[in-house]
Amino acid sequence: MNGYNFAYLDEQTKRMIRRALLKAVAIPGYQVPFGGREMPMPYGWGTGGMQLTASILGADDVLKVIDQGADDTTNAVSIRAFFERVAGVETTTATAAADVIQTRHRIPETPLEPGQILVFQVPIPEPLRFIEPSEQETRLMHALEEYGVMHVKLYEDIARYGHIATTYAYPVKVDGRYVTDPSPIPKFDNPKLHMSDALMLFGAGREKRLYAIPPHTRVESLDFEDHPFEIQAWDEHCALCGSDHSFLDEVITDDVGSRMFVCSDTDYCLLRRGEVA
Amino acid sequence: MLWPAFNDPVHDSQRLFRQLLQAMAEPGTLEMPRAPEPPREASIGPALWGALLTLCDLDTPLWIASELDSPALREALRFHTGCPITEDSAAAEFALLTSNSLAQGIDFSIGSDAYPNRSITLLIALEHLEASGPWQLSGPGIADRRHLDIGEADGLMARLGANRASFPRGMDAILTCNDRLVAIPRSTRVERTDQEVRPCMSP
Amino acid sequence: MYVAVKGGEQAIANAHRLLADRRRGERDQAELDVAQIAGQLRLSVDRVMSEASLYDPELAALALKQASGDLIEAVFLLRAYRTTLPRLAVSEPLDTGSMRIERRISATYKDIPGGQILGPTYDYTHRLLDFLQLAEGEVPTPARAEEALEACPQILDLLNDEGLIEQERDDGSEPYDITRDPPDFPVDRATRLQMLARGDEGYLLALGYSTQRGYGRNHPFAGEIRLGQVDIEIHVEEWDEVICIGEIALSECQMVNQFGGSREAAPQFTRGYGLAFGHNERKTMAMALVDRALRAEELGESVTSPAQQAEFVLAHADNVESSGFVSHLKLPHYVDFQSELELLRRLRKAHEAQRSRAGDPQQKRENVSEEAKATERASKGVHHERL
Repeated sequence: MNGYNFAYLDEQTKRMIRRALLKAVAIPGYQVPFGGREMPMPYGWGTGGMQLTASILGADDVLKVIDQGADDTTNAVSIRAFFERVAGVETTTATAAADVIQTRHRIPETPLEPGQILVFQVPIPEPLRFIEPSEQETRLMHALEEYGVMHVKLYEDIARYGHIATTYAYPVKVDGRYVTDPSPIPKFDNPKLHMSDALMLFGAGREKRLYAIPPHTRVESLDFEDHPFEIQAWDEHCALCGSDHSFLDEVITDDVGSRMFVCSDTDYCLLRRGEVA
Repeated sequence: MLWPAFNDPVHDSQRLFRQLLQAMAEPGTLEMPRAPEPPREASIGPALWGALLTLCDLDTPLWIASELDSPALREALRFHTGCPITEDSAAAEFALLTSNSLAQGIDFSIGSDAYPNRSITLLIALEHLEASGPWQLSGPGIADRRHLDIGEADGLMARLGANRASFPRGMDAILTCNDRLVAIPRSTRVERTDQEVRPCMSP
Repeated sequence: MYVAVKGGEQAIANAHRLLADRRRGERDQAELDVAQIAGQLRLSVDRVMSEASLYDPELAALALKQASGDLIEAVFLLRAYRTTLPRLAVSEPLDTGSMRIERRISATYKDIPGGQILGPTYDYTHRLLDFLQLAEGEVPTPARAEEALEACPQILDLLNDEGLIEQERDDGSEPYDITRDPPDFPVDRATRLQMLARGDEGYLLALGYSTQRGYGRNHPFAGEIRLGQVDIEIHVEEWDEVICIGEIALSECQMVNQFGGSREAAPQFTRGYGLAFGHNERKTMAMALVDRALRAEELGESVTSPAQQAEFVLAHADNVESSGFVSHLKLPHYVDFQSELELLRRLRKAHEAQRSRAGDPQQKRENVSEEAKATERASKGVHHERL
């Protein structure tokens, strides 16, 4: 695109983000502050993920963008079109064909492969934020590895509801040290973070933080001996592909409350139905 | 003689960065970046020169160990990256050194518990670098174990091994030898195993 | 039959076409031209330039036109453009004392060197709709002074023989740059002022107002408000010379507030400061009130009110950030909502089962003791963490 650098960001900004990414990978789960830039899309719409993608993306990369697991949701379409325009890269909807996958709220059902990079869009990177609103305080809590309040919060849920009432953005501990927000993925996806083959990068543009989970890294969802972590399960199967093991979206089909359940990962669903070339 | 830079700064540095990222994400794996060759008499090889071109700019104070320092290197860095060269090792963001330099007890920043990222990244020139040998690496980015031979470098490995005790504070290292590089971030556990390297059993 | 949502690309393209049509409005009306906006809606232009941190009236006017007059959208457009610009030079500190004054008033002194100059102000207009402006009416040219005004010294500096007013000192340190590095709380005053300068006017106005109503009251007086043109100078290393590269319009407000002082320092008035591009008087006054409120800790006052809490005030001041995050709620959240649905159904099922058993007194007792046990464990922080 005329007037803009390859992948939109100028080289100095990319270098700043790249240096921060190397530190993020070296300190798994730690939120590295970075000089986030304005992007030509609103804050909260994936500007953090986009800055990371723009900093790592090369001309030969194949890019996939998903939102809610789907390639065809409007924001995924818009971000994909942005990178086609500013970087001229090839894009795909096939998880296995992508080098870089930018995602909002899901990890693909198809297991990721070595060398792939998953870039998460993160709205609130601080897992302790809803317990302690002050950045100064939460920074201290991470420094001192003082995570008791998080367990108290989860246990209060159990006392009140009989369950831990966190269903997405479910906090994890990375390599036994940092309590980390996995972004608002459903807790269904948390096990995929553990010992993944792929590198996972997290970008929060408005909050100007980035962090990483390297491949083959221990990632444990916080829980208690008497209330072990468990993921969502459905009685239904996907109405399109019949999957009994993927995350399902509920779709209202008429005005009398009929509904059906379908895979949220559209590429995975199509693949199972044999509809992908 | 002026040192060569990337032919295509945007795309060459992107490719090299991805190799650095890959190296850092999978400690102990060798990467062979495509980088311009510094002049023959230079004290550093293409992998290290490429890393400098990729990472350094006006915002990154660089410290250079005396055994690698030369007017030609300084001029090349100033011209191609503009990075300020500092004598104050504790204020440096990157340090250019050999495996012997660390024995001299130089003061580098390892960050604080609140900001562990405000710490040095060591860029090390080695005579020898093989992906098998007495040094065993494990931790994030390593499925089981990886091994390295970096020649005579007990002091360097001892220093990087000490990272675990100060974690999350620490120093991250990119080790290079001619056209190869490997990374050992602070998250890596470094141990010496003097036995012959054999296929590892699961722990 | 269910059909997966497809065609997002076409929908987006169509929405953009419709938007362009609505922006243009009725085609039998003349299209707004950017010069008209820059010339006749200049207070909008000035606000957009201020909150976007980019002084360019033409591009700010273009942003306003493109945004159909939505100020925050225009700020966003200009900000996103600004971020792509190279940094060619850093100016010398601006000297507002040498401002070519267009307006300058003080509420603390009746007569001041250089005089009170009302300038172009809405202050004493009667807010009666001027129906003549419905038609095209000629506007008379303004009366002008014979001679240009002399540079007016800052009142607060001038009238400080007695040391009654706190003096600002330059400690020579390089200010932090919030456009390059993220703010790192707690932040110093220079950083705070940068964040306030690009902060949303309405937000600062509300916070400033809250201090006047008692939430962190600090008894302000408008020491001086000035508006005019200031030179921008840069130091050229090659020539070792400072050269003027142009001028910009600025609004500045110096607020005088109630005393500070300690065992060591005699009591004196304290200050709050506001500065903005263009004619942005309301913004600079609000900014000065909030600046002063945020100095509470430094001045030994207790921090009790919202406007005094730096992290709260500063982290929420930027309207590009806040409008982005509020508007992101429009994006699909199917997955998270589905996760909540699944949990809610499970909880309701459990609740139902429990209610149907609730008649059994033995069960009731167990419920109570289970809950008490859980609460006790949580409060003691005793957890069988599995990590």
